[in-house]
Amino acid sequence: MEKKLSKKALNKSFHNWYYGHLTCFSQEHMQTFGYLVSMLPLIKELYPNKEDQMNALSTYKAFFNTEPQLGTVIVGITAGLEEARANGASDVDDETINGLRAGLMGPIAGIGDSLVVGTFIPILLGIAMGMSGGGSPLGAIFYIIVWNLCAYFGMKFLYKTGYELGGRAVDFLIGSQGTALRESVTMLGGIVIGAVAASWVKVSTSFTMTAAGAKEPFLILNDTLNSVYPGFLTAAFIMLCWWLMAKKKMSPLTVMLLLVVISFVGVLVGFFDPALTY
Amino acid sequence: MEISWIQAAILGLFASLASMPGMGGTSIGNYTLGRPLVGGLICGLVLGDMSTGILVGVAMQIVYIALVTPGGTVSADVRAISYIGIPLAMVALKSYGLSADSADGQALATSFGTMVGTLGTVLFYGTATMNLVWQHMGWRSIEKGDFDKLYLVDMVYPWVSHLLFSFLPTMIMVKMGVPMVDLIKNYLPMDGLAMKTLFTVGSILPCVGIAILLKQIVTKALDFIPFFFGFTLAASLGINLVSATIIASMFAYLNYRIKMLQLTKTANATAVIVDDDDEEDI
Repeated sequence: MEKKLSKKALNKSFHNWYYGHLTCFSQEHMQTFGYLVSMLPLIKELYPNKEDQMNALSTYKAFFNTEPQLGTVIVGITAGLEEARANGASDVDDETINGLRAGLMGPIAGIGDSLVVGTFIPILLGIAMGMSGGGSPLGAIFYIIVWNLCAYFGMKFLYKTGYELGGRAVDFLIGSQGTALRESVTMLGGIVIGAVAASWVKVSTSFTMTAAGAKEPFLILNDTLNSVYPGFLTAAFIMLCWWLMAKKKMSPLTVMLLLVVISFVGVLVGFFDPALTY
Repeated sequence: MEISWIQAAILGLFASLASMPGMGGTSIGNYTLGRPLVGGLICGLVLGDMSTGILVGVAMQIVYIALVTPGGTVSADVRAISYIGIPLAMVALKSYGLSADSADGQALATSFGTMVGTLGTVLFYGTATMNLVWQHMGWRSIEKGDFDKLYLVDMVYPWVSHLLFSFLPTMIMVKMGVPMVDLIKNYLPMDGLAMKTLFTVGSILPCVGIAILLKQIVTKALDFIPFFFGFTLAASLGINLVSATIIASMFAYLNYRIKMLQLTKTANATAVIVDDDDEEDI
């Protein structure tokens, strides 16, 4: 008789992944244990025999790590493959399953990191920060609700799609339609991040020049720069940081330390002055 | 501003849930509770000053707007930023008599949060290393066929790692941090070199966060155009973030439509060529 995974087992497997993919993280095995617990309910249902269970489970002892939200699609795909294997499909073995997992986790991590963590979350946070002006809780609440609904149902959809379509589920993500969509979302992200930077980041200089004997300075550098392009100094520092990281391959931490040095020197020469006293 | 042991313990619990790798899972833990904006709401509620909490959270959120951990390497630890950095920054603001809504207040908060967040990476490596113990038990239980133990290994035992590396450090740092802040205040005057540098660094640090994001989306010089378009919308035209997002959506939608048209056009073109071939065959 053809074995078919029950809805209950699939649900349990999904929830195990949704919650447990990174709870037991180590640098050595990363998401491997999350993967094992999410496959466990499926394997228990497909194989009544303990020895078969052990064989099937040992497939998933191989190292696994990807972007967890988008990576749900891989778990879904392997659920489908495991079902096929239990039904005696001759072309599905340890090697096919692990080859597919190893082949997909890299690209999915790349797309996921730039799409979920690098674009979607920052856009939501950008909007939320805009709603939090003056210390209102509205923005934080907005973010909590929207992100969690999107994450839960998005992951659920990915799992189901992976299970039903198998390898074809990924075509959409890396196919030409997916690329067009990704490019557009990245553009949206770029514009929003620009607006976030201009609204929330404020770098200014206190540098002025006063002619001998005059009361008012003839040059207030900050105002002059802002009349050329509003937010000039902020934009310049962002470009500097980008250049150091992207072109000079510096780590964020090194850049931060460099900024400490720049600030210190800037304060010494009077370029920066927060002008505060107790 | 006083922080009681109970308040410090609640923050410690949230730190255990919110860290990466945390006990809340990534969706609810790291990506929700771990974001400084949400952490600000929670710290504000726990410490009884919601609006200060949120304003401090917003200030730190910009630095960490794109906290990506590719391959599990971290440059900052969310539990430390959100549940040690935010409470201490709130204490410092109160002690210095600065408003969290002012540029100076935000600069101070940013400096504090970033400092604590960077030091906090120790906690990340501590938790991840201790989890190796549970994973070792996990491998053994698989060999023995005791599969259900995997649930304990994945979802229960790591709480012990978090007790040691999230709960206790957060509770102690928050509780002990209050007298420390006062000490710093007495020894370092605000118009002195050290504090001036601290405030200046705080105002510049968010640039790093934005630049990390840009690094992800910019591959060629032209990719800067959307970013500066958005920057101009807000800086020169004074458009707020929600409106800027809607304008951005319009452009993204147009871009998508154009790309899709190109795709169908090439698809049609190939279809026509195939037809031609068929005719020739006849």
